[in-house]
Amino acid sequence: MRQLLTMTASDLRQRVRDRSVLIFALVVPLALMYVFNLVFGGMTEIELEPVTVAVAAPAEDELAPVLEDVLTQVDGLDVTLQEVPADQVRSVVDAGEAGVGVVVPEGFGAAVMQGEAVTVQVIEGDGTGLEAGVVISVLDGVLAQLTAATVTATAAAGSGLPPEQLAEIAQASLASGPPLEVTEGQAADEQLGPAAGLVAGQTGLFLLFTVGFGVLGLVTEREQGTLARLHAMPMRPGLIIAAKGLVSFVLGVVATSVLLTVGGLLFGVSFGSPVAVAVLVVCVVAAATSLMFIIARVARTAEQAGIAQSIVALVLGIAGGAFFPITGTGALAQVLDLNPIAAFTRGLGITAGGGGVADLGVPVAIMLGFGVVMVLVSRLVPDRGAAL
Amino acid sequence: MSIQETQAPVLVVRDLVRRFGDLTAVDGVSFAIARGETFGLLGPNGAGKTTTISMVAGLIPADAGTVTVGGEQMSPRSVAPKRLIGLVPQDLAIYPELTARENLTFFGRLQGIGGAALKSRVEEVLSLIGLGERAKEATKNFSGGMKRRLNIGIGLLHQPELLILDEPTVGVDPQSRNSILESVEALSGEGMAVLYTTHYMEEAERLCDRIAIIDSGTVQAEGTRDELIRLTGGVDHIRLEGSGDTAAAATLLRELPAVQAVDADRHSLVLTVRDAPTAVAGIVNGATNAGMSLADVQISRPDLESVFLHLTGKALRD
Repeated sequence: MRQLLTMTASDLRQRVRDRSVLIFALVVPLALMYVFNLVFGGMTEIELEPVTVAVAAPAEDELAPVLEDVLTQVDGLDVTLQEVPADQVRSVVDAGEAGVGVVVPEGFGAAVMQGEAVTVQVIEGDGTGLEAGVVISVLDGVLAQLTAATVTATAAAGSGLPPEQLAEIAQASLASGPPLEVTEGQAADEQLGPAAGLVAGQTGLFLLFTVGFGVLGLVTEREQGTLARLHAMPMRPGLIIAAKGLVSFVLGVVATSVLLTVGGLLFGVSFGSPVAVAVLVVCVVAAATSLMFIIARVARTAEQAGIAQSIVALVLGIAGGAFFPITGTGALAQVLDLNPIAAFTRGLGITAGGGGVADLGVPVAIMLGFGVVMVLVSRLVPDRGAAL
Repeated sequence: MSIQETQAPVLVVRDLVRRFGDLTAVDGVSFAIARGETFGLLGPNGAGKTTTISMVAGLIPADAGTVTVGGEQMSPRSVAPKRLIGLVPQDLAIYPELTARENLTFFGRLQGIGGAALKSRVEEVLSLIGLGERAKEATKNFSGGMKRRLNIGIGLLHQPELLILDEPTVGVDPQSRNSILESVEALSGEGMAVLYTTHYMEEAERLCDRIAIIDSGTVQAEGTRDELIRLTGGVDHIRLEGSGDTAAAATLLRELPAVQAVDADRHSLVLTVRDAPTAVAGIVNGATNAGMSLADVQISRPDLESVFLHLTGKALRD
């Protein structure tokens, strides 16, 4: 145990001294998070331009003001109503003075109240784009609700109710809103916003570089001759490998924790329960470390190990959402699900959405399973650098 | 195998074999080293010296044969016999980011030394290898000779019973080389058994009590320097260069009792003789009396290079 700690402490001291681990594990990922957040963060925030709507509505109509009120209360869209005569709506829109034109016919309100069919004419101007689409969607929604009231009133009339009761029923239907309401839900990994996804993904990507500073040190020590001397020391050879694994684990846990914390503070992101996040960190670091044991056996030189590590890190990191969310279907989706970085990101989505340790079963199982498989494979792969 | 009979051997190597694919790098090597003895493995690059040492130090397993250190069998998984050895690998085996003191302390801890004993021993070794004043400096800033000395210091730190030095002077400047050789002589004098590999004949002659000449993975001969030289027949050569009647001189010189053979051409004679320093005066007189005017006289005595040439048919540095 003393020898294990001696080797681990010495390795950590050297890694801190040569500063490369600090640069790769902390400085570069934080800088990339910042840059990507600037680039991709701006693209997700769409700002709608103000739009003018030319409206022609009968002066005494009871329901026409409802349409007008709804248009002026759209969240995120500044709508200016321009009242014009019905025969001038099209020309105003064509002239570009208004983005959208709305013509409410005579008897609109009474027709709705009586359950009769009625048509509202909407004219979309050229080049108004998204804003006109929003206005038309809102009008569609309101008209659908009015249509529901019309249908209700028609049904009531068919049952022989007196006209005064028909009007009450129609108004009640209008006021009650839709009978079914669809609420937008989010998958676990979608509960991370763009900034949180970026922090989680970059953390996962650079973890795969950070853990290399421990286990892949075996290859470096082989090249610089110190591995032979370590093997001549009075201790089991397995202790040397264990020490390298421990170094990877410590560096990985520290770097991942710092990146999630600092990234969270910089970008105003919360990943939820610290305990649950800690469980995820431990599991993903264990999985990433296990992968390095395979590279350490396959690579003959430090250069080969570095190349292999970069390939693995980029493939798993990108597939795990380091730059943008990746989704797939069928077999591809199943393969992507086995990626420990993707499991880590998904787990952070669960914790960010309020989930606790008990909710992390699947991502934790994926990460730990990945780690066990990698360790087993590393024992089976021939050690190409074993000849001293 | 001949070891000092009064002492139990620290190291016994028996019939060691190691193959790498189709290549048999070490093929039936056997030798033993007693306490206080310096044993040399002399051979050219690729002879199997480093592979032999790797098995002796427990770095790689042997395909056949045994290595016993202090009575304990050595293998890569052994722990106890590794406490008895100090390995100085051919390649530098130090951490460049650590200071000299930190390197020594690190390996000392792995050897099981700790506390005040380790601190004291580290200072002793730093002084011994002449790095006391640079102890706090990262070794990446050291010269090649300083790194070599630290490389040896690490092997000595725990005062092993058997010190294994694998070509420790390769790439070292003459001053550092001499310092290393003096250190090895001193260690042997203190009773440490030393296994020393080299392809430098002079080092083997200077340091080693016994020498095994190794080539193509097998020990060609083993013994003291004198024992090995006797294998060549123990004859010297004297070369005479000059002008005059070399044929007449050759005829005259063949009659001298010390002379075994004479090769002559128009300007020189090469004589095979016993004990050249004693015979040279009579030979020079004889050549002069035969009418030869001498311009140069050279004496060459057999050395380990001659032995290697005699045993393998090729030069040591091939």
